[in-house]
Amino acid sequence: MSAPSKPVPLTTVESTETSDSGAQTLTLSVGPQHSGSGHMRLIVEVDGDIIVNVAPDPGYVHRGIEKIIELRNIIKSIPVIERPSIIDASNLNHAWVRSIEEIQGVEVPRRGQYLRTLLNEMNRIMSHLYWLSIYGVFLGHTTMFMWPLGDRELFIDLAEKLTGARITYSYLVPGGVRRDLPPGFAEEAVKRTEYFEKRLKEYDRIFFNNPLFTSRAKGIGVLSKEKAIELGCTGPTLRGSGVDADLRKDEPYAAYSELEFEVSTRPDGDSFSRAMVHMDEMRESCKMIRQIVKKIPAGPIRRKAPIVLPRGVAYGRVESARGECSFYLIGEGGDKPYRARYITGSYRNMAAIPAVLLGNRLADMPTAWWSIDYWPVEADR
Amino acid sequence: MSLSHEREDDLVQKLKEAFSNDIKETNIIRRGRLEVTVAPEKIKEVAVFLRDKLGFDHPNGVSAVDYNRENRFEIVYHISSMRTKDMRDLVLDLKESVPRNAPKVGSLVSVWSGVENYERESFEMFGIQFDGHPRLEKLFLTDNWDGPPPLRKDIRFPTD
Repeated sequence: MSAPSKPVPLTTVESTETSDSGAQTLTLSVGPQHSGSGHMRLIVEVDGDIIVNVAPDPGYVHRGIEKIIELRNIIKSIPVIERPSIIDASNLNHAWVRSIEEIQGVEVPRRGQYLRTLLNEMNRIMSHLYWLSIYGVFLGHTTMFMWPLGDRELFIDLAEKLTGARITYSYLVPGGVRRDLPPGFAEEAVKRTEYFEKRLKEYDRIFFNNPLFTSRAKGIGVLSKEKAIELGCTGPTLRGSGVDADLRKDEPYAAYSELEFEVSTRPDGDSFSRAMVHMDEMRESCKMIRQIVKKIPAGPIRRKAPIVLPRGVAYGRVESARGECSFYLIGEGGDKPYRARYITGSYRNMAAIPAVLLGNRLADMPTAWWSIDYWPVEADR
Repeated sequence: MSLSHEREDDLVQKLKEAFSNDIKETNIIRRGRLEVTVAPEKIKEVAVFLRDKLGFDHPNGVSAVDYNRENRFEIVYHISSMRTKDMRDLVLDLKESVPRNAPKVGSLVSVWSGVENYERESFEMFGIQFDGHPRLEKLFLTDNWDGPPPLRKDIRFPTD
């Protein structure tokens, strides 16, 4: 069976059409070359410079990961699970091991839970910083491209001390984590998060309180609360539309029930709101990292977990940097899953792209689109 | 966290009262995870009931599963509620089965518009037809792909 195929445009401007009202519209192909981060195309129809129609065209970085993990041992799949979003690797890894543990009935020791939470929160900061630097590029603000990428090294170094790897950690395994805290980690983490919080104030001064940014982001790309819920949006995109949904609070996993933090929401649903949710979350993550290194309990970091997946079904999900990342996992007793459905935050937020772009000017497209933090590789899997 | 299943039992009860003949099976996996299997021809009515009467307004995703040994596909709608704050830890799996040789079901895009992309993916990866879908075209696969739906169980990798 073959599906009807999409037309492949040969030029940037696909076609011009005349609408019923007599206005002439132009269809543009935005992408699929690297327009910021990751390959994806948006087919945009404009009337003058007003966007009247948008069709996302993903799939340029589709790797068939669901099929790959069906054919591999559940442990061997961990590195490939992380690949869709290497800047947020440990959160995706967490969703995977959480669903496995749910079927296996394995309890993770408390120290292991704390270490998982620690790396997850460091990863959230790293991911948001990457998003912010690309946002700087999109808005032509070179300083905001350089600073977050530079400050991201603070946490990359910390993660390297903890896991041995800079970006893709494969740190979480069924039953716990791979390595314990290295000596001197707590002091280093406190020092770095405190320094980073000072830097965030400078970010506010140079970018977020800058008319150059606010005048281009406030009121642009509005996504209403009702629409965000109906489209199944998640993460900062949903919270930027005024819904205080966060799995870390709503379905507390790992050590989140023992930590104090606020869920950041903004009522307006515009690009500025979504950007500010990201900023708030970085501050909260810093607070959480300091709490974790202070109150992490002693004990084992890992419990022995079987290498097979018993018969059973689980829907394991975590709050990754881009929202809910979930696995619908079906085990049938072997060492491979029968089916592993992989749904990521970017994939879910793809539905919001047309909603935030319609009715805006073409020049506002970068501001509105990238405020969703859509990561094409994570969406395509 | 409480481990009681009262909330889930209550939902099952309400569904069974409204659709006594059409709910084929219900299963509470654990607290916050509930499976409901319905007849394909009634899924839209059940979905509208879930959305309007029980507050399930938020689609989390759609999974298709190929049970080739039983000669059927299973389509699973994962849905949750944002409206009711104390139900946010609950995911309801609304399931339906279709025969593998005639995989045709009704689309639920008119109930939850957010399932559009997931249904498209199930169409291209499993070859399941969704009646009433506004844009049933390939989503991730390349334009010139004319092979079989690649996520079906009988499609093997050359290295297998």
